[in-house]
Amino acid sequence: MKKLIALALALVMVLSLGCVAFAAEDAEAEEAEAAEDAEAEEEEEPIIVHDGPEAADEGKVLNIYAWNEEFKGFFDKYYKVPDGVTVNWIITPSDNGAYQQKLDEALLGQESAADDEKVDLFLAEADYILKYTDSDYTQDITAMGVDNFDNAYTYTVQAASDADGVVKGVSFQCCPAAMIYRRSIAKDVLGTDDPAEVQEAVSDWDKFEAVAAQAKDKGYYMTASFASTYRVFSNNVTSPWVDADNNLQFDPQIESWIAQTESFVQNGYTLPTCPGIWDDEANAQMFADGKTMCWFGPAWYFNFNMGNAQDPENGCFGDWAICQGPQAHFWGGTWLLAPAGTDNPTLVADIMNAFINDEDVCAQLIKNEAQFTNNKAVNEAIAEDPDYKNDFLGGQNDVAMFVGMADNIKFENQTIYDQLLNEGLQNNLQDYFKSLGGGEGVDKDTALQNFYNYVNETYPSVITPAA
Amino acid sequence: MIDANTKGRMQLLITRIVVYAILIFLTVLCLFSFYMLIINSTRSNGQLQAGFRILPQEHFLDNLKNAWNDASINIPRGMLNSLIVAGSSAILTTYFSALTAYGIHVYNFKGKKFAFTFIMAVMMIPSQVSAVGFIQLCLKLKLTNSFLPLIVPSIAAPVVFFYMKQYLESVLPMEMVEAARVDGSNEFRTFNQIVLPIMKPAIAVQMIFSFVSSWNNYFIPALLLDKAEMKTVPIMIAQLRSADYSKFDMGKVYMFILLAILPVMIVYIILSKAIIKGVTAGSVKG
Amino acid sequence: MKETRTLTKRKGISYAKWGYIFIIPFFVVYICCSLVPQLMTFYYSFFENYRDGLKQVGPNFVGFKNYVTLFSPDNTGNIGILKYFGNTVILWVLGAVPQLVIALLLAVFFTSTRLNIRGQGFFKAVIYMPNLIMAAAFSMLFFTLFSTVGPVNQLLQSSGLADKTIDFFGRTFTVRGMIALMNFLMWFGNTTILLMAGIMGIDQALFESARLDGASAWKVFAKITVPLLMPIMVYVVITAMIGGLQMFDVPQVLTNGNGAPNRTSMTMVMYLNNFLTTSKNYGMAGAVSMVLFIVSGVLGLVVYRTLSKQYKQ
Repeated sequence: MKKLIALALALVMVLSLGCVAFAAEDAEAEEAEAAEDAEAEEEEEPIIVHDGPEAADEGKVLNIYAWNEEFKGFFDKYYKVPDGVTVNWIITPSDNGAYQQKLDEALLGQESAADDEKVDLFLAEADYILKYTDSDYTQDITAMGVDNFDNAYTYTVQAASDADGVVKGVSFQCCPAAMIYRRSIAKDVLGTDDPAEVQEAVSDWDKFEAVAAQAKDKGYYMTASFASTYRVFSNNVTSPWVDADNNLQFDPQIESWIAQTESFVQNGYTLPTCPGIWDDEANAQMFADGKTMCWFGPAWYFNFNMGNAQDPENGCFGDWAICQGPQAHFWGGTWLLAPAGTDNPTLVADIMNAFINDEDVCAQLIKNEAQFTNNKAVNEAIAEDPDYKNDFLGGQNDVAMFVGMADNIKFENQTIYDQLLNEGLQNNLQDYFKSLGGGEGVDKDTALQNFYNYVNETYPSVITPAA
Repeated sequence: MIDANTKGRMQLLITRIVVYAILIFLTVLCLFSFYMLIINSTRSNGQLQAGFRILPQEHFLDNLKNAWNDASINIPRGMLNSLIVAGSSAILTTYFSALTAYGIHVYNFKGKKFAFTFIMAVMMIPSQVSAVGFIQLCLKLKLTNSFLPLIVPSIAAPVVFFYMKQYLESVLPMEMVEAARVDGSNEFRTFNQIVLPIMKPAIAVQMIFSFVSSWNNYFIPALLLDKAEMKTVPIMIAQLRSADYSKFDMGKVYMFILLAILPVMIVYIILSKAIIKGVTAGSVKG
Repeated sequence: MKETRTLTKRKGISYAKWGYIFIIPFFVVYICCSLVPQLMTFYYSFFENYRDGLKQVGPNFVGFKNYVTLFSPDNTGNIGILKYFGNTVILWVLGAVPQLVIALLLAVFFTSTRLNIRGQGFFKAVIYMPNLIMAAAFSMLFFTLFSTVGPVNQLLQSSGLADKTIDFFGRTFTVRGMIALMNFLMWFGNTTILLMAGIMGIDQALFESARLDGASAWKVFAKITVPLLMPIMVYVVITAMIGGLQMFDVPQVLTNGNGAPNRTSMTMVMYLNNFLTTSKNYGMAGAVSMVLFIVSGVLGLVVYRTLSKQYKQ
């Protein structure tokens, strides 16, 4: 019987070899093309790289902690560390708090770690930045030489400061978020794809829901997942998740999200089986044959999560536009924080300065990477540049749109528990929402109890409501 | 007479058809997901979106390149780590289990019965129930992010011990040990040079099983290893489930899964006969 | 214990010390890596000891508080650990019963001289294969295959078998079904091979005389095969039970640790894992571990007794 197995194996091998040969030709051709393209581009606009300073008496290994490769991509492209310094990226995904756990262990062990093992720079998100700024594990960056925040948006500085106002880090992004919509669907539903007119049609949540009904009549979905609008509400809360006595509390904004999602699922305005913003089913809606009209996100969302929309085979590049949407909000943002005990203070300070104050770097982040930077001067210059247009958004000047929203961002009511409370609420309420959409599920009380159980397991010190 | 015979033959034929149908169904059930895995690993993200396909497409190499070079999931490193952990565990576990089995099988000493009873009694206690203490111990000894806590415990593997003991009982003639003693061989040498070679088949089988179970082990490594360069393959695979990775390129995701199971599959295809024989050889007396 | 000829003395030399030397590594490692951690786990279960952000809380001695919390009902009247124990049992039964039935059937097929199945080597190789697959990878594969936009849904819809997307991960039945199917696939080959060995160990003369007496195939199966296979079946069932108690990788990866929907696929070890990740709650985790220890201890005792009974024969 060995023969049979051997035969099967041979078959599989021949098959895969065939594919390999196939793919090899393809890949070669593509590579050649890509190389040509890259050359052509480079000739037009050379990349300006920021040179890091030599600091003879500092460490030769720079350890950077992050939860994805977004910043790494920018860093590799626009920043050159001095010769002899090695950059180590320690990347752990943030899901289920894995990144925070990893970072916590590293920071708790910072003192006893060898110099080359120390955390030198780490990235943090709005949801848990407080945990680190409000601790002794980060240090004052103004003392390290990062002290010019004239061009930075106030909220980004405030977010990176501890209770006494000591600044511990900088963000290289500013993250006002917009409603991102499919032009073709908007045209079909509203008769226009003009951002101003679309904005008029969805300027508050009631109007948004009315448009959702229209979209449904035409066979479209308004949003792609239960959590699509979550950030719009959760980043406008007027009270923190946990009160002064450590009791878990629901802000009216969170209640509004629950009520809206109930209505959207019951009315069929959103996909009935897709809970999360990041789920494959939601992402599949971004292909050309997707049926969803609206998404919510800041500038980083275009490249970070809209890969399917940009897919050369099945995407719909250019069929997009943005407007402010029903409620102003911000989402995410990546802060670079300086841990206490880094052995590369000069280099770390220079990196921070480069990504907020080097105008060449910032301008390239906008033009090449579709970012909205944390440098007002650069943003405003590009907002008024008649030559700048974002091809992904059908030529719209998104920077001009974001400039208008950025000044209003408020960073308030944060707790150190936000990331997992936000994740946990979305995960645990999905069973309830699915039941409203005709699927199997549970009632609201059970879903909430599951959330409380999750909270008890994840954050023992947070007190959940008793019966 | 002829009628009864024909009837019997007909019955046999029908039974055979039913049996083969069941076997083929189960074969398809076993192979379907792997077939899909192989096919999907040859397709680009866009192609995967376009619908179900029964035949491979041309992006195998692209996916392989993308997966192999992915910066956050360093799969070559993971495979190397898994190889180190699983390889060392396999060697230690088989050697020391054979040694322990030999010690209990051949010698008569006080407490022998207790030792044997003890091992049998703890055989069924899963490692998860002592995980809390084990992690604490590793933290205290600064052994997190080290392979030692994943390798050393394999020295004490009651199940492998039991297998080895069974095997020794069936194959080791006492006369051989005695003869070695007459020749002046010391006990340790006797074990290494005479007994071990006799146990080769059992050792080979257990090595494969220990390798596989260690290669696939997830619970304890996930709690102990958080440094990227120390992660083993199962930890990386579980990471795929988290949002930051799965959303970009499904072709790459399928390729990661394929790479995770490939080494074991190759070993299996080469050694399947021996492995299947090994399943029964010592586990229970038939 | 089986009588074996053991050598105690030769020319007045005692070899007993070699016995100790040979078993010492095993016991030293076992004590360090299992016994001591087990005792530590027990000890920790009486403490409040967790991480709150970057701050460590405890260890503070709290007596039986963790156990009380573990067995207290929540607002909806559920006692978490009992629910997760129930889930574990259900998931195990769903996978193990078909596994045993099919394995028994296949073992009979393969060993029947009358049927004379061809290609046995191939079939055995195929059905045993899933046993070697990394459970994490296998469930990740199932997750992608059965996702709402995955190939299974694509296939069902393009072939007209389903008119809308089937949310395999939103229903208790399908999630449990997938977990059971994976466990079935991973273990039925192994069980088949064990049972085959058992059948082949039965005295062939018994079958022969039964056939001469004109007993039907079913009767032979029910009156000879099954009773004589009992010991090995007990072994298979109990080892499978202990494996089932440890169920973790498959549901953990498949549901991303949520045990969705409504925590109906959350197993005991997943529950344990929840306390070990973000909160590093070694107190509660210790208490869960001790419950698991007691359950597996009881099962272990049963295995030991059945095995040692066999061993004496």
